[in-house]
Amino acid sequence: MQKQPQQNSSRAKNQPSGIASFLEQPGHRFSRLLSFTGLAIGAWLLLSALQVSINVSQLLQEKNPGKDGFDYLPVTKLITNENMGSDNRFTPSEIIALKQKPFLEDVAPLQSNQFKTRASAGDLIPFSTELFLESIRKDFIDSAPSSFHWEPGQVEVPVILAADFLEMYNVFATTQDLPQFSEKSIGAVSFILECYGPGGMVPFKGRIVGVSDRINSVLVPENFLQWANQKLGNVTQAPVSRVYIKTKDANNTSLLQYLESNNYRVNKDRTKFGRIKQVLQAVVTGMASFAVLILLLAIMLFAFYLQLMIARSKENLQRLKMLGYAPKALARAVSGKWIPVYAGVIITALCFTQLLQWYFSRFSIAGKDKLPVWVHPAVPVLAILLLVICVSVNRFMVSKSLRKIGN
Amino acid sequence: MQISLQQIKPVFLEAEKIERSEIWNKNLLWKKAAHLHIVAPSGSGKTSLIHFLYQIRQGYSGTLSFDNRDVKSLDANEMAAYRAAKISIVFQDLRLFPDHTVWQNITIKRQLNPYQEKDTIAEMADKLGISNKLDRLARECSYGEQQRIAIIRALQQPFDFILLDEPFSHLDTANRNKALELITTEAQKREASIILADLEKVDGFETNQLYHL
Repeated sequence: MQKQPQQNSSRAKNQPSGIASFLEQPGHRFSRLLSFTGLAIGAWLLLSALQVSINVSQLLQEKNPGKDGFDYLPVTKLITNENMGSDNRFTPSEIIALKQKPFLEDVAPLQSNQFKTRASAGDLIPFSTELFLESIRKDFIDSAPSSFHWEPGQVEVPVILAADFLEMYNVFATTQDLPQFSEKSIGAVSFILECYGPGGMVPFKGRIVGVSDRINSVLVPENFLQWANQKLGNVTQAPVSRVYIKTKDANNTSLLQYLESNNYRVNKDRTKFGRIKQVLQAVVTGMASFAVLILLLAIMLFAFYLQLMIARSKENLQRLKMLGYAPKALARAVSGKWIPVYAGVIITALCFTQLLQWYFSRFSIAGKDKLPVWVHPAVPVLAILLLVICVSVNRFMVSKSLRKIGN
Repeated sequence: MQISLQQIKPVFLEAEKIERSEIWNKNLLWKKAAHLHIVAPSGSGKTSLIHFLYQIRQGYSGTLSFDNRDVKSLDANEMAAYRAAKISIVFQDLRLFPDHTVWQNITIKRQLNPYQEKDTIAEMADKLGISNKLDRLARECSYGEQQRIAIIRALQQPFDFILLDEPFSHLDTANRNKALELITTEAQKREASIILADLEKVDGFETNQLYHL
């Protein structure tokens, strides 16, 4: 008597149990396959879009020429045929607006001389030229020595010359029988600086104390220019035609968009990678949007499949609820069944993204730069997030459908 | 656990039947370890009462409480917790899964909240004479066999109350006695109450309280 049931029960124990066997699979194998294929393609496109975006940012960040991590760019207003006659200088409110932009670290206006200036070398060198002078905050100058300082009454005016100007002079000097100067030796030369205007004429002794690679101008201390503008030019507030901006990334697309929208001109060569970045970001954004669309469609398609499965298993699910299976537990069981499949699909997409990254890392891009072999940590994080979203959406849809089927 | 009925009466039942009843419109308190026998002819609302107690129908007025809590205030998950641990049932219409085997029909209840070793399934099946049916689909079994499957299924979980709605209607006397003995023994193990509703008084069921519905 005892042996018979034991044999039967051991046979029976091999039968599938658990809630899964009470769920009827709809016959739409194709729609299930389509949904998972869509999910895989969408996830791969989205993860790749993120990785490409990170690659582009990293590559262009390395193109940043700034020392100390910052770029300093001169900005002027764009002169066009339409605005040629009007005042194209910066107003104080425009400078304040620039300072408030999050992509700019700092802004400094370049003040110009409101009086005339002539520089000559006296009898030693037969050289004389009309000159313009400008001043800017000292922290914006890349090569300002401690001697770049002027006090009222001081005859000697320290000057910082643009490296390009020195180079131009040296080219010009050979043809005019003038002496050439190196960056170091030019500091030994002093010249006569005659400043004159409605307020009179004052002779000064100019001395070049530094050469700037950053600022293309003839710079004098700020307090000297303010004093001279007031004294000789009778101008207390000099208008600003040029400002220098300090930014962490000259290729920042928001910066370029802002400058373009305000008709501000900036050296295109310094920001050319930013323009490439703008185009690439548009491509990547388009790719990501397409990926999100595919993902949404795939998730929706699978949600319909699950609803169909619930509708077909309605009677069984009702009975399971009647036996004491909580709706929460049923939802977990119904949607949980697909978690390994979702995980598999998204891990496959992640592997393909890694494979692509590894492939591109073997080549030099944009000259000498190489991409890292491994995907950025943000990519697996996005993959996990995608998995959580897919599982949560499924759980929500299943719970909703289960609530509808009643007891 | 205790069940309290305060002035419960089905909204669809004639006033005359309600007036004659020893349950409808009365105040009753049922505690553990009792044998309650409800006897009534067809159409008196036996199945309705069992369904009210199991909360798969709510067409009644009055208050039905589990542990002093109105059952209408329980949400689906809370009610599921009662069904998994406190109240078991043998439905009159059995409600088996016809396309699943007898084994699957029984173990699906056991998986929810197992009360005893898996081997006891085979012992119970042997006791009720269906041990050779465990591999068969439920729909392939006779109604009497299906009743015994439903009884074994109901005994797979812990419970304070077991509701039996005409559970022996298709069993011969010998099988009915075996089933009743099994149910009584299992209820004793759990110190649980049996609420047995039937058309007539079931011989061999020793009751603490007999109600005419």
